[in-house]
Amino acid sequence: MEALLTNYYEACSMILFGVGFAVLLLHSNLIKKIIGMNIMDTAIFLFFIAKGYIEKREAPIIVDVYKGVDAYINPVPSSLMLTGIVVAVSTTAFALALTVKLHEEYGTIELDEIMKMKGD
Amino acid sequence: MIIKSFPLVTILVLFISAFIMPLIKDGKLVKTISLASMFLGLILSLTTAFYVIKYGKFYYRIGHFSAPMGIEFYIGNIEAVMGILFTFVSLMIIWYSVYSIDREIISSKISLYYLLINILIGSLLGVIFTNDLFNAFVFIEVGTLASCGIIVVKDKKDNIKATLKYLIMSCLGSGLVLMGIAFIYSITGQLNITFIHKELLSVYHQYPRAILISLSLFTVGLGVKSAMFPLHTWLPDAHSSAPSSSSAILSALVLKAFVLLLIKVLYRAFGMDIITEFPVLNIILILGSVGMIMGSVFAIFQRQIKRVIAYSSVAQMGYVFLGIGLGTDLGVAIAVFHMVGHAVTKSALFLAVGAMIEKTGSKELKGLRGIGKEMPATSALFLLGALSMVGIPVLPGFASKWNLALASIEVDKILIIGIILVSSLLNAVYYFPIIINGFFGEENLKDKIYKSKSKPIKELLPIFCLIFAMIYAGFSSGSIINFIKNGIV
Amino acid sequence: MKSVILKEISKVIIPFIQIFGVYVIFHGHLSPGGGFAGGTIIGASFILYRIVFGMEYAQKKFKYEILMPILCFSIMLYGILKGYSFITGGSHLNFPQPPLGTSGDILSGGFLLPLNILVGTIVAIVIYFLYSLFDKGEI
Repeated sequence: MEALLTNYYEACSMILFGVGFAVLLLHSNLIKKIIGMNIMDTAIFLFFIAKGYIEKREAPIIVDVYKGVDAYINPVPSSLMLTGIVVAVSTTAFALALTVKLHEEYGTIELDEIMKMKGD
Repeated sequence: MIIKSFPLVTILVLFISAFIMPLIKDGKLVKTISLASMFLGLILSLTTAFYVIKYGKFYYRIGHFSAPMGIEFYIGNIEAVMGILFTFVSLMIIWYSVYSIDREIISSKISLYYLLINILIGSLLGVIFTNDLFNAFVFIEVGTLASCGIIVVKDKKDNIKATLKYLIMSCLGSGLVLMGIAFIYSITGQLNITFIHKELLSVYHQYPRAILISLSLFTVGLGVKSAMFPLHTWLPDAHSSAPSSSSAILSALVLKAFVLLLIKVLYRAFGMDIITEFPVLNIILILGSVGMIMGSVFAIFQRQIKRVIAYSSVAQMGYVFLGIGLGTDLGVAIAVFHMVGHAVTKSALFLAVGAMIEKTGSKELKGLRGIGKEMPATSALFLLGALSMVGIPVLPGFASKWNLALASIEVDKILIIGIILVSSLLNAVYYFPIIINGFFGEENLKDKIYKSKSKPIKELLPIFCLIFAMIYAGFSSGSIINFIKNGIV
Repeated sequence: MKSVILKEISKVIIPFIQIFGVYVIFHGHLSPGGGFAGGTIIGASFILYRIVFGMEYAQKKFKYEILMPILCFSIMLYGILKGYSFITGGSHLNFPQPPLGTSGDILSGGFLLPLNILVGTIVAIVIYFLYSLFDKGEI
């Protein structure tokens, strides 16, 4: 139990991941599924970026003078996740465009009703 | 040495030539640019393969920073063979689509289609060549978006539904892969595959649970993208509703690149010593064998011919997972050789079926009766492809099944030979009725005129080249398997 | 929604938003931000112009035939610059490179500044295109 409380970043990101996954699978409205996908991606970014934090050090920006390698946190996870955020944004945009087209063709965005209207 | 930079030059040429296309309004110039860039890629891949045969594998660093800080490419035997395979198969498919794409999508979207194909092949080549985990993740994402694009460019109802399902499941898979990379980074602190292996050998005693979590995340994430058995539900809709050249690219190439990444992670980043302590390989073995049988069982009950071939892809990917799950060098070499054989065969099948659907106008199995008299050349090519799937000797399907049986005797799992036999019989159950109804039977053949619907030979040439490549792969299977076996580590 | 207050205030505010976006792009190698964040800010100012003033004015100012070639040439130039840097580094050739620079200067840091500017234009145009695609179904 103490391990969960000292690593509260990782525990919170796991709970968020579970929430996003449940929304993605259980709701049938397409917009809610896309929101669930976004919550899941955000949980993964939180997990990765929290791995870069080292206690009592500051952000890796050179203000006046360079203080040496040991005064800054690990900058690698933050820069990797920048790419991940851009990818998540473009996937969300693509999925929303497809939802708009689906609404034009079928007239509804509930996945249950679309699955019943097969053919045409 | 300038030859060592050829893999990177291939990827750059494909990406840069892709973005000239939206500016050009003329359809023929766009197709010429696409064919020329892919042909250049094929020549560069052949040169790289000759270099690797003569001098052995090499590492190529990108930019001015060497590993572990920078990214590097690792070109060994497996990567050279897969490079030739990808550029050759995509060149043949683009050549076929030059004639057939005008009838399937509207003419204002043709430049967009060829842009997406170039980006897709460029990112798949990037997944194969890279030696860095996060670089592979970026290329996976680009490949996913591009492959969703080539399905939905057709703009019908089925396509949009199938693409949405594919996009959401694929995004789920990429998220799981990213979580797996996060766990490995938090244990070892490196992202380069060779350096991860060195670090893991010294620290894996202390973190058994984290390694188990990251292994299972990688397997499930990459399994969603490459159609492992219970996670394959997106595949039949996506591959059957796409235009015929897109479904050929999707089924032949896209699934293979992700399985190759799984092989790289399991056998190079983790290594044989660490993997055998966890039950992951047995689970992949069981899921692969179940997939082999259930894929064929589902295919028997389908009514549309493209869905039959799509479910057959699920079954063939089961063979690849079976080869990975065996855990020996020969098993992995057979998996890679089966990928090579299946790529050429399945693309030829999809292109031939596309020609048949276009000329007869119906997608159902009933509409293809008597097709052998009307389109003899196309049906002969379909017959050769189907024989390879079933496992007739001399063709590559037989070579991979024979060697899989040998490999499973090595590890004392005799039950697998029975499963291979059962699935070959099930393959015959759904391929042979199509051929028999096409060529024989009196009520099928009456009032069909000989060669009434056949396509001109110049449009069927790409399928001929693919079938020649398949027969060549079948004849020289022994030497190819030995070549691959030396390049695993 | 097209009231007079909205139009007058956005005529004053939109240039400030764009200057702030350009500042974030140019200081990408010295402080947080860079190509993606700055490009999104400039793209947001384009979207604000289209929402307040309506489709006809926006289509006159941001024409498809001008924005699309800018996008394609930016991507190709980005690819060529990156290819130059990768291949000269990987094959150990000694072609001329931009200087690696000192900390605190804007015109330093090798290829980072031109690449940030290119990424900023690409992201701004793509975000504007995505919004106009959702809004009326055409660009």
